[in-house]
Amino acid sequence: MSASGDTIPVNRYSRAVWRRNATVWRKLIGPSLATNVLDPLIFLFAFGYGLGAVIDRVGGLNYLSFVVPGMMCYAAMFAASFESTVSVYARFHMQRTWDAILATPVTLTELMLGEMSWAATKGMFASCCVIAVGTIWGGIGSFWGVAAALPVLVLGAVCFACTGLVVTAHAQSWDVFSYFFTFWVTPMFMFSGTFFEVTRFPWFVQVIAWVLPMTHLIAVVRPVAAGLPVDPLATAGHLVYLAALASAAFWLARRRFSARLFG
Amino acid sequence: MEGKVSTATPVIAVEALEKRYGEVHAVRGVSFSIWPGTCVGLLGPNGAGKTTIMRMIMALAQPTAGRLSLFGQAPSALGRTMRERVGLVPQEDNLDPDLSVRQNLEVYGRYFGRPSLELAERVPRLLEFMQLGERAGAQVMQLSGGMKRRLIIARALIADPELIILDEPTTGLDPQARVLIWRRLTDLKREGKTLLLTTHYMDEAQRLCDRIIIIDGGKVLDEGPPRDLIDRHTRAYVVEIPKPLPTGLDEAGLERNDIGDAVLYYANDPVEVTRRLPPQATYTTRLANLEDVFLRLTGHGLREGG
Repeated sequence: MSASGDTIPVNRYSRAVWRRNATVWRKLIGPSLATNVLDPLIFLFAFGYGLGAVIDRVGGLNYLSFVVPGMMCYAAMFAASFESTVSVYARFHMQRTWDAILATPVTLTELMLGEMSWAATKGMFASCCVIAVGTIWGGIGSFWGVAAALPVLVLGAVCFACTGLVVTAHAQSWDVFSYFFTFWVTPMFMFSGTFFEVTRFPWFVQVIAWVLPMTHLIAVVRPVAAGLPVDPLATAGHLVYLAALASAAFWLARRRFSARLFG
Repeated sequence: MEGKVSTATPVIAVEALEKRYGEVHAVRGVSFSIWPGTCVGLLGPNGAGKTTIMRMIMALAQPTAGRLSLFGQAPSALGRTMRERVGLVPQEDNLDPDLSVRQNLEVYGRYFGRPSLELAERVPRLLEFMQLGERAGAQVMQLSGGMKRRLIIARALIADPELIILDEPTTGLDPQARVLIWRRLTDLKREGKTLLLTTHYMDEAQRLCDRIIIIDGGKVLDEGPPRDLIDRHTRAYVVEIPKPLPTGLDEAGLERNDIGDAVLYYANDPVEVTRRLPPQATYTTRLANLEDVFLRLTGHGLREGG
């Protein structure tokens, strides 16, 4: 492959890409903070009053403590997915920012790592906004639990960023992203256990649900964040699934980007 | 090339280079060398293969066949070290639209791994050099075409490269903007930088380049210093006579080239042609330039290649 292929990635160069995105985002921090805080507020208000009134306890938790960890995952998933698809596509294809970067010592792998870690950062930012809102609203069962859940959320955000990059690497136009949101993001919102337990769905929906990384993420984050007993073996299984999916997605995305950029 | 010290390593050496994109044979066996401290122009119409050659030199495209070396090594073997020594001015505007003029340079400097302290000192100097000092805080969108071009050149200089590759640096700019860029490129040459530029402007090539490589259809047609090329392929003067030609014009012994609505005659002294014309005939006489060389070599004008 070309020069961008065979150099061992160096953190400094990925960080330069991460910092580029952070520099741009700094100007938008006000609106970004507002939407990231308002979104979960609206959700919690609506679901807290709406469903919380009908549902007493779910899975051994009151509904608020059940739904806040789910929303922490959802916020990370949505923000990381959006950034790694729509925003990366703009820089890769529309603005040609990637072409400019690839003419510098930054390699494709470093560029992708920078973009991926930035998307994960935005996911974590959104997730932390939910934690802040959840704390005020009274949906945080255990603060130590939430602290312990953070590294797991990082892995989840990385996984969503990597899977998003696969779609971006194959995208020929903006249209593909509407399919991405309909067939990937929305199912993870509805079927992965954010608002109800996965076991409420018929078996074939459950099969699909366990393919989605979000289901595995919630399965780990919820008990940890709520301070409930954790099944070590199942937890390990979920984490391995997330890590494996992230690695495979990154590899696939890299292969496709490389062919498109240097072919 | 002639008269250069033979022990010097060429900055770029290309040998029998080929590139195919599926059915399209974009580059068909190109060879040339570029020596340190020289300015070399790749001249050819749109679609001649200039950009593809540059992309292969930058290791942004993989050659289908042939050999290519940069600073004496294969670009793929050099990897990052090579990129640190080369500044690229691409043909299309890929400035970062989300950043200000100053930030475009600072962020780009970080891609080269340059520390903030060094950039804080270097960025204002580069902006001054390209006469953009007053626009440092402006957004890229607010810049004119000429300013954008200057900013792209400043960006390519951020890591003080030894080799600067410029893909059509002045295409689409007004005369003043072009002159300013030419002046800066001349400054860089004086500093001892090696420049490789593509252009389809004759005056640009003639003015800036020590050597010119004429390319068409993915092949090198000829190369050499501009003056040599003119001497080799055409005469000192060109007499252009519009059609219809005067009846009974004696063309014996004249070199001619039919360009559609007129015929060009090449002569070392224009009188060789004009004495054959009837007194009322209209014609224009000018010094031969690279355009004529190109016309002679390819049989078609430079700008119609598209």
